[in-house]
Amino acid sequence: MTIDLLIPLLAATVQAGTPVLYATLGEMVTERSGTLNLGVEGMMLVGAFAAFLASTATGSPWVGFVAGGLGGLGLAAVHGLVTIVFTGNQVVSGLALTILGSGLAAYLGTPYVGANTPGFGHLPLPLLADIPVLGPVFFRHDALVYVSYVLPVLIWLLFARTRLGLALDAAGENPAAAKAAGLSVPGLRWLGVLAGGFLVGLGGAYLSLSYTHLWTNGLAAGRGWIAVALVIFAFWRPGRAVLGAYLFGGVMAFQLRLQASGTVLPSSLLLMLPYVLTILVLLLSSIRGRVKNAPAALGANVEPEG
Amino acid sequence: MRRLLSFAACLLLVLATGLAYAADKEVKAGFVYVSPVGDAGYSYAHDQGRKMLEKDMGVATTFVEAVPEGPDSERVLTNMARKGYNLIFATSFGYMDPVIKVAKDFPDVVFMHCSGYKQAPNVGTYFGRIYQARYLTGLVAGSMTKSAKIGYVAAFPIPEVIRGINAFTLGVQAVNPKAEVRVVWTKTWYDPALEKDAAKSLLDVGCDVIAQHQDSPGPQEAAQERGVYSVGYNSDMSKFAPKAQLTSAVWNWGVVYKYVAEQVKKGTWKSEDIWWGMDKGVVDIAPFGPMVPKDVQDKVNAKKAELVKGQDNIFAGPIADQKGAAKAAAGQKLSDKELLGMNWFVKGVIGTTE
Amino acid sequence: MRLSIVKRQEPLPGGSFFILAGALVFSLSISALLLALQGKSALGGLYVLWHGAFGAGYALVDTILKSVPIYLCGLGVAVAFRMQIWNIGAEGQFAMGAVGATWAALTFPEAPAALVLPLMFACAALAGGAFAFIPAWLKTRLKVNEIISTLMLNYIAILFLDYLVYGPWKEKRSFGFPMTAQFSDAAVIGGIGGSRLHWGLVVCVLAGILVFVMLRFTRLGFELKASGSAARASRYARMPYDALVWTVMAICGALAGTAGLIETSATVNRLQPSVMAGYGYTAIVVAWLARLNPLTIALAAFFLAGLRVGVENLQLELQVPAAFGNIMEGLILLSVLAGQFFQTYRIALRRRAG
Repeated sequence: MTIDLLIPLLAATVQAGTPVLYATLGEMVTERSGTLNLGVEGMMLVGAFAAFLASTATGSPWVGFVAGGLGGLGLAAVHGLVTIVFTGNQVVSGLALTILGSGLAAYLGTPYVGANTPGFGHLPLPLLADIPVLGPVFFRHDALVYVSYVLPVLIWLLFARTRLGLALDAAGENPAAAKAAGLSVPGLRWLGVLAGGFLVGLGGAYLSLSYTHLWTNGLAAGRGWIAVALVIFAFWRPGRAVLGAYLFGGVMAFQLRLQASGTVLPSSLLLMLPYVLTILVLLLSSIRGRVKNAPAALGANVEPEG
Repeated sequence: MRRLLSFAACLLLVLATGLAYAADKEVKAGFVYVSPVGDAGYSYAHDQGRKMLEKDMGVATTFVEAVPEGPDSERVLTNMARKGYNLIFATSFGYMDPVIKVAKDFPDVVFMHCSGYKQAPNVGTYFGRIYQARYLTGLVAGSMTKSAKIGYVAAFPIPEVIRGINAFTLGVQAVNPKAEVRVVWTKTWYDPALEKDAAKSLLDVGCDVIAQHQDSPGPQEAAQERGVYSVGYNSDMSKFAPKAQLTSAVWNWGVVYKYVAEQVKKGTWKSEDIWWGMDKGVVDIAPFGPMVPKDVQDKVNAKKAELVKGQDNIFAGPIADQKGAAKAAAGQKLSDKELLGMNWFVKGVIGTTE
Repeated sequence: MRLSIVKRQEPLPGGSFFILAGALVFSLSISALLLALQGKSALGGLYVLWHGAFGAGYALVDTILKSVPIYLCGLGVAVAFRMQIWNIGAEGQFAMGAVGATWAALTFPEAPAALVLPLMFACAALAGGAFAFIPAWLKTRLKVNEIISTLMLNYIAILFLDYLVYGPWKEKRSFGFPMTAQFSDAAVIGGIGGSRLHWGLVVCVLAGILVFVMLRFTRLGFELKASGSAARASRYARMPYDALVWTVMAICGALAGTAGLIETSATVNRLQPSVMAGYGYTAIVVAWLARLNPLTIALAAFFLAGLRVGVENLQLELQVPAAFGNIMEGLILLSVLAGQFFQTYRIALRRRAG
């Protein structure tokens, strides 16, 4: 493959990886504070719709972007209500959330199918965009891609350098100790669920404001599930989330380009590539002894206080 | 006296219409769709046909959308028949076995299955020769390409899709013998983001016109963003990509639906295989975009006029497959049966049917 | 005075019934309200829903048939969840079971039912079970998290099924459509006494009893529970943890694989991509909602199947979009889940001391 094909491939990798990256980071924040939310797919869909609606109504893509986050947050709040307040099972609640979210987005969104969104256009960054290779790959996208470059760093800082991050981790690792230390575990978990839902919603907003500029149903098309898998792939670390999202986006973009350049391999087998590769990379990390476990109290609810 | 006569005439007229109505069967038509109708794609096109049936003939209709092609469809079909719908359109290929099964239990209900090949005394089949429209869009695409590379984003390697790609390619090569058509399979009917990226992958290898057999307008959008041309499918997709769309291959199912409903109403319906084309107006192309030059439009319209007259020579020989082996010699024409089971690409297509 | 939450000394007697009823009243009221907002009759809508799911003999049969695969998969994942193995791979194991059974049916088209059906069951259980060994191996030997490995393997299994029906197993006479040849009559699981209820139902009952007995009365069941509720307790168990992981994965894979076989053989009669309807994921909801109890899983599966069948009727009679059914299902699940809270806790009015 020549360099003129490689650069568009890598640029497409970044684009395809971005929505998954937002969602992966969101789910990561939620899970590190101890709540498993399998409703990522549903939250992305609602986020995508909210983003579309708000940006069309106001004409401002940024308002849409925030609205997408709020849409995800709203659905995540239902999960918080069911699991944190009513101590309902996190797995069922998350799956039910996906069903509810996809229903809501399709039901509310159908009348608008085909409507154009004032989304984000390409915004090559001055100077950076002119760097050979790196410029076209990383710095000739839209604003939301650039936001996604900053986000992992911020989340890393949050968990590695701030007290709040430590507290969130404590709620996920050892709620009893966190409580003994005077922290409000339910409060921290609410924060994790809502902040995570917001980020996932932003991923949905990327789909309806950047990836495509028109509203159609079913925009997430399974990307939420990939995000759930990538959180584990990333061992709950923001840096590896970037790797995972780009790896996944990259392999998907690669197999399409392999077909476009006229390969004769059956497409079913090519489409398996991203999934097989995800397992293989995990295997490799495992052989090199780099496995890190899930937050110890992930999925376990905290009993309400009397 | 005159008044009496006119009164009698009126009476006769009323009686006659009354009798005519009595001879007619009341038609209640049910439709089963594989995807939600709101998505501007395949089911949407069928639903437009249903609405036309309702509006033009006053037939009562209902539909169930997003019905998976497995056992769920059997139940939905049964319930429709049970609820008194006496004409049922099953609009997707995967409903074939369930339709045949259910039809046995309801001999008085007329079932029409779209795109299948199994019939029964109360099961007819129907489809449209959308490949005719594809051929015409191929003529347009072949005239407009500068790089002589055209991209085709396709859903699943089934005969219907392959036939469309072949007809399109034959159209392209009729005006531009050196041009090639590159195919990317997405294995989705509807994933706007993935399908858009598939189109981009084709643009990256130098394609400058994008055609599609997908339900989402994703590929159209990709073409518009890169400033190249596109060809749509299902319905006029120009609202998604006004600057890019040259034309679209479009369905007009209402024609079939009205015909069948009329037959059922009169009681003259017989099981048959309807495979109509442009001559009956089931398929068509959308109005040309402003970028299509007059001479191209004229050429395409001339060819269209032939098809409208029923002269379909699209798959007339000589036709060779990808490896150059002859599939139809000069003077031969591929039969409908060969078209229905098409699982090979014509020469000029780059890609695999697996 | 303030509200406080008090843990019940004992679970509310007969509580699950009242809670279920309460949650249903709550979520159905919201759904009715949403219906009314669309200008549809709220009570009429609920009646149509009920009637479509449970209100007639045929509706009950439909609901029971739909709950068969959900139940088998639910039973399987429940066994794994009991020892806190987060196996979400029932979907992929279902696919592999269908593939295994299809291999047997296609390889021995002439064999009598007495031979081919047992062979199909064996192949389905083996294929599903063996496929489940991959995540078991990855987990025990290489510490790869089973949620991710099972999820990825689901995609891989479905694509593998696709590959087979689009490629080597495609029937020659199917006009290139992706499906295998129809199974011989011997390879089709028939109806019980000529009814639509097939023998797969009996398999469900047997599987349910077996799993119940295993969990309740055998040492294996005890050890599963012990290693699930506290990793430390399992150290005292006779069976090593790794062997238990392999065992539960094998059981789950075999049950999900059997579900794949029953769907393929009894309802579709051949292998085609549409056999995958997401039952493996539905099963997870069902298993947890039923708190991993083999008996209540049957009820939950029946209920959820009824809801999905009933929603089709809602579409048919009132033209309510399919997405509305998802909203209802989500609401009902979430409120039943939240309602379970009151089984173990109650809200008390407490006078502030001092």
